[in-house]
Amino acid sequence: MTGTILVVDDSAMMRKIVLRTLKTAGVEFDTVLEAGDGLEALTLLRVNTVQLIMCDINMPNMSGIELLLKIKEEKLAAGVPIVMVTTEGSEPQVRQAILAGARGYIRKPFTVEHIENNVKPLLAA
Amino acid sequence: MSQSMVAEKSYGAQEFLSSQSQERADETVAEVFNMMLGHQIGPVSELDTTPCEANERTAIVGFSGSMRGTCEIRMSTLAARAVASAMLGGTPVEDGDDSIDDAIGELCNMIAGGWKNRVPTLTSDCTLSPPTVISGGDYKVHMRQPSMKMARVYRFDGNTLHLTLHREDLVAS
Repeated sequence: MTGTILVVDDSAMMRKIVLRTLKTAGVEFDTVLEAGDGLEALTLLRVNTVQLIMCDINMPNMSGIELLLKIKEEKLAAGVPIVMVTTEGSEPQVRQAILAGARGYIRKPFTVEHIENNVKPLLAA
Repeated sequence: MSQSMVAEKSYGAQEFLSSQSQERADETVAEVFNMMLGHQIGPVSELDTTPCEANERTAIVGFSGSMRGTCEIRMSTLAARAVASAMLGGTPVEDGDDSIDDAIGELCNMIAGGWKNRVPTLTSDCTLSPPTVISGGDYKVHMRQPSMKMARVYRFDGNTLHLTLHREDLVAS
């Protein structure tokens, strides 16, 4: 797939796992951007156009939910699917993420099937 | 807040120490290892395992909210290297590589989150801290309040994983 993906997670290991699982699911991008927290992600989004954002919630400096709200406020990724990838899977947190602009939600640990079911339909739309 | 209100909202000591709670821990560990590492893992009697070497890694994630405490996993550095390598899809990992600490921190995070998400009263009212990773075995986790613990031991690929869940008693403020 042509375009750019942004993966936001404070764990470099988890960013690699997300990218590897996406590749296994047949979702690959020309350019990969990685950010260790919401602040780094914002900096990248102000100068890059991306086609997909995969984002953790619990991160230092700026959480995933705060990042979603800033993206909305600054209109940085209009129409770009944002999928939360997180250990926090409670209903209130999912609702909060969806209200803040997330289009998908994947709970860690996850499999290729989770990526196929939650990410691929967003890219096909 | 009154003592009774705290008791109603918090995760009870009896429930924490129940066999159901241990089963939730076992299910969670098996799920995380299966999905993220592609490894089978199972609980064993603590007496059946060899002790961890002095050179070991520990990852700790804190619980706050309706249950305060910690989730702690401990394994040898060799086992932590094997975990990091498996999480990277089989890529070899050298001694001293940052990915070793990153891997067991994330493993602990997923185990803590998975266990918490299996407990209906904790799912929405309990949050996790970012993981802390400790090298070496000469440390002690101090609790602010009287606490209780649930300990489980698992074996995977000839390695031992020690899981300890601590729960502090909540005191009304």
